[in-house]
Amino acid sequence: MTLKRMFCLLTGLGMLLSTGIAWSAEVHGRSSTQYQWFTDYLTGNKQAEFGQYLNLSVTKIDPAGKLSFYGYGRGNQDILNGQGFNARLYFLYGDYSNLFDKVDIRVGRQFVNYAAGSALVDGGKIDLKNVGPVAFSIMGGRNVIFNLDGEASNDNDFVWGVAANLVGLKKTDAELSYFMKLDDAGIARDQVGGSFKQYLFNSLKIYANTRFDLTSEAFSEVLTGVKYYPNSDLVLTGEWYQSYPIFDNSSIYSVFAVNRYQEAVFRADYTINDKITVNAGYSKQFYGEDAEADVYGIGTQIRPIDKVQLNLNYDYRTGYGGKLNGGAVEIMYEPIKPLELAGGIHYDTYERDRATGRETARKYWLGSKYKLNKSMAASARVENNVNQQYKDDWAGRIAFNYDF
Amino acid sequence: MKKIAFILAILGFGLICLQQKSYAEKKIAHTEFSDMAIKECNSCHKSEGIAPNHNADFIRGHRVLASKTGNNCSQCHSQKMCLDCHQGGGTGDNLTQSNFGRDYKPKSHRSDFITIHPIKAQDNPQQCYRCHEAESFCNSCHSRFPKGSMRIKSHMMLGANGQRYTFAVGEHATEARRNLQSCQACHPEGDVCIQCHSSGKTRPHPRNWKSGNIKDRTNAKMCLKCHLPGTY
Repeated sequence: MTLKRMFCLLTGLGMLLSTGIAWSAEVHGRSSTQYQWFTDYLTGNKQAEFGQYLNLSVTKIDPAGKLSFYGYGRGNQDILNGQGFNARLYFLYGDYSNLFDKVDIRVGRQFVNYAAGSALVDGGKIDLKNVGPVAFSIMGGRNVIFNLDGEASNDNDFVWGVAANLVGLKKTDAELSYFMKLDDAGIARDQVGGSFKQYLFNSLKIYANTRFDLTSEAFSEVLTGVKYYPNSDLVLTGEWYQSYPIFDNSSIYSVFAVNRYQEAVFRADYTINDKITVNAGYSKQFYGEDAEADVYGIGTQIRPIDKVQLNLNYDYRTGYGGKLNGGAVEIMYEPIKPLELAGGIHYDTYERDRATGRETARKYWLGSKYKLNKSMAASARVENNVNQQYKDDWAGRIAFNYDF
Repeated sequence: MKKIAFILAILGFGLICLQQKSYAEKKIAHTEFSDMAIKECNSCHKSEGIAPNHNADFIRGHRVLASKTGNNCSQCHSQKMCLDCHQGGGTGDNLTQSNFGRDYKPKSHRSDFITIHPIKAQDNPQQCYRCHEAESFCNSCHSRFPKGSMRIKSHMMLGANGQRYTFAVGEHATEARRNLQSCQACHPEGDVCIQCHSSGKTRPHPRNWKSGNIKDRTNAKMCLKCHLPGTY
């Protein structure tokens, strides 16, 4: 099935390319040929694969430039472990915009985002705009689900939704939407969503985002927040978030009692100057029945000279669920214009519970990228994982990219 | 009460719309600025009162910006930007990004993420499901492990393989209420739950359980997993 879809994709793209030439359409994109090696976590076997990515846009097909096509997919062939061919089509859709200056139509595989729900769908989306202060949107199609090995959608996996959003106001956003997900058992999810954003006094942003589950008649997610930015270099954030676990109606877990999860977040992001930005945050988590956790985080981005960038992040978590103490260091260096060198370390110590004790995980990596000319670049990245499971576990990728 | 609140919200929304009917201040399309460096955005935004949103907080906070219709992400980014992180793709541009097998990993998945994910998944349990389908994704990995090899706190109390709990001693009820998603990762069909929680045994439903809602939406298929026809 996957092979068949990949064949259709490539045939379709071929047709698009030839059509583009005939109509003087603009065809742009990237071909990325990759070689990857890694350890299959489940079997413990070393695996090596060739991968081919294709990202494509075909625009200005018609004289008015209203019709365009976009596609992105990959195919991988294992050459060491007998796992064969694996493919993933991320999106492939045709877009016709500004029909009667009021309608945008998008047909094909696409990622759709409403406040009430988001999904990757094989279907369509129609947006109605320029009809007043409110714009409307409707979408629907087959629900595309990926698991580790490929597509996991069943025959009856579908989603659809409608949305209305406020337009024309520079400092206000508001959306009200509905999202339904169907599966073999019937209606799996039935949700209303809302989103709101308002800028105030040139230095304040208030925002909210919520989902209400009509089956359990509970707010599955509520987020409210405020950002205060006395100047554009400093942003202070305060958020309150709560969620109530919702399962598909076809899952036995949808009938069980659960606790509400709540979280308060405080954060500051400060750009000291062109060379240094810093951030710090704290979140308090509540799991119900007196279970709580605290998470502290700090980070900085330093650019001592134009050709060097250093990123440092550290966080510390303690409380319900376990302790985690660690961070990452990354450095990027551009010695000459076409060459980029990079490296980094991830280091974490953690303790899931008293019985497991403290463990450590480290990742060391190095990478480089060389731009051969305006349209071609080659890159390589290797990493070594040293952790509870592996004393040394090497993995990496080599990529050759061609832009057209 | 909830219905009234819902109707009031709709009316309020309508009123806002009417009040803003003269919408003169149109938002500026960002397409022509898509190649600009982020730090240059301030040249306009500094005086406009718009909060910088592509800073170090972007990974955590972008959902509020992106998860709505009418967002302006597509004016600068293609859907590749979303799906490389959400569905594991990549063309090798970002050297800091590592892979999990053939899939590219988002930067939020640090070091040995397989081992630390039970801790990370506690930080907002909903966030895993923004990219992963709860039942199929978790179970496609968890199901391949031999029973007894997963270390769940409530399962470590008793039994030769550490995978048995008792009603009196076990912490499973509390653990399940706090993190029911983790139960689903290994027991997608809930077969072990039904042994004690089916009809006539320990009631699993929440206090304000609306049985009719789920019955209508699944044509009673869900109810029949535990109850006899006509008894629910």
